[in-house]
Amino acid sequence: MKTIIVLGVIALIAVFIIAQYNRLVRLNITVDEAWAQIEVQLKRRADLIPNLVETVKGYAKHEQSTFDAVVAARAKATSASSVADTAAADGMVTQALRGLLAVAEAYPDLKASANFMSLQEELSTTENKVAFSRQFYNDNVRSLNTAVKTIPSSLFAGLAKVTEREFYEVENPEDRNVPNVKF
Amino acid sequence: MNFRTMQAANRRKTIGLLVGMGVLVWLVVYAALTYFGQGTAGIVPIAVGIALISVWGSYYGSDKLVLTMTGAKLIQESDNPKLFNLIHEVTIASGLPMPKVAIVVDSAPNAFATGRNPEHALIAFTTGILDVMDRDQLQGVIAHEMAHVANRDTLVSAVAATTAGAIAILSDMLTRMMWFGGGRDRNREGNGNPVALIISLVILILAPLAAMMLKSAISRKRESLADATAVSFTRNPAGLRSALEVLASDSTVVHQRSTAVAHIWIESPLDAKSVSKLFSTHPPIEERIAVLKSMESLA
Repeated sequence: MKTIIVLGVIALIAVFIIAQYNRLVRLNITVDEAWAQIEVQLKRRADLIPNLVETVKGYAKHEQSTFDAVVAARAKATSASSVADTAAADGMVTQALRGLLAVAEAYPDLKASANFMSLQEELSTTENKVAFSRQFYNDNVRSLNTAVKTIPSSLFAGLAKVTEREFYEVENPEDRNVPNVKF
Repeated sequence: MNFRTMQAANRRKTIGLLVGMGVLVWLVVYAALTYFGQGTAGIVPIAVGIALISVWGSYYGSDKLVLTMTGAKLIQESDNPKLFNLIHEVTIASGLPMPKVAIVVDSAPNAFATGRNPEHALIAFTTGILDVMDRDQLQGVIAHEMAHVANRDTLVSAVAATTAGAIAILSDMLTRMMWFGGGRDRNREGNGNPVALIISLVILILAPLAAMMLKSAISRKRESLADATAVSFTRNPAGLRSALEVLASDSTVVHQRSTAVAHIWIESPLDAKSVSKLFSTHPPIEERIAVLKSMESLA
């Protein structure tokens, strides 16, 4: 009888440890998948940029500085690999694209062209997908980090080789800078 | 209230209502046994069995069944790339797999979701809703439908329908027994308490009504929950709010082939004014708009 109880308790403890371990591993995999999704969407956006720049160039030849900003931001984004670098470059690309679209506003012929309109839809859906994959990633990082830091799951983080992950934080220059007023 | 507390509150209330359903079933069985004696115990599994078969068949094949019942046609990405873009955005935000997409040719703006699990999900839109709504509004509607998928509302409503169905069948059978002679043996001992008999009778008569009310209450809670979950996906309550305003201001109603699927649409196709609030499958649209507005002010 005694041995049965002891075995039962051991079995329960084993089940508990396995559950904690699996949960941490699963959270970690979800974060990896979320990260891969961000990369897929950023790649999609990067692939869209040359086409967009060419289309706008066809109508607005004298906006070279805007084009350069977009191309430079894209180059930086494609070479970034760490979470922080990717996030920083992502913010730059978003900013540069906003500038490009603002330029396009001044050219009615461009805005009316079918090519530009389909590119604009592609761009807005890609921007949304980038934003949502970011949000999904950060939500999952939050769950993972909470699990890594709180008891009881924190006790098994070392065993599962799961550590806290980095949030994907895009700095939006508009949030920090005081508006630039020119007279 | 933010969407997280909203989601938690609605989940709690759903569980409370499902427990209420369970208690109701137990009450009906108890009343039947008191009124008719132990001999009627056999009809309980029969009633539950009939309800299970009828509801779970339609639950399992819900994606296909609803297509026929609503006249929706499946479409591919090439048929409406913009709609698929929007749906893909929401699948990224929610982490759900891509659902099947269908179109109902109807000028009334409306949409619904069904399917037994996220892998078999189907979301459908009327041609009317695609015409009148802009990008943000449609995104809100899609997020609401995907929220139903994420919250497994087809399952929840199947459970609610099974219990309500079982209660209705049970009560129906017992009432027939009462009228057509099969009634209780008045000479038997042990169930002679007249007060208990009257209470049992009242329970048997009112139970189907109470079950309907509970079922509708569960459906309303799931709608509120889907609104809150939709905001957790898009973090943009304004999109869904303005979509609901469009639905509220539009007086046209989907030409339903069947009222059996009325509860799955984002806006109830039944005339809200003709149905008492207690039996309505959706919370009043004004109330839903107000809740979303309060979430906007938090952002």
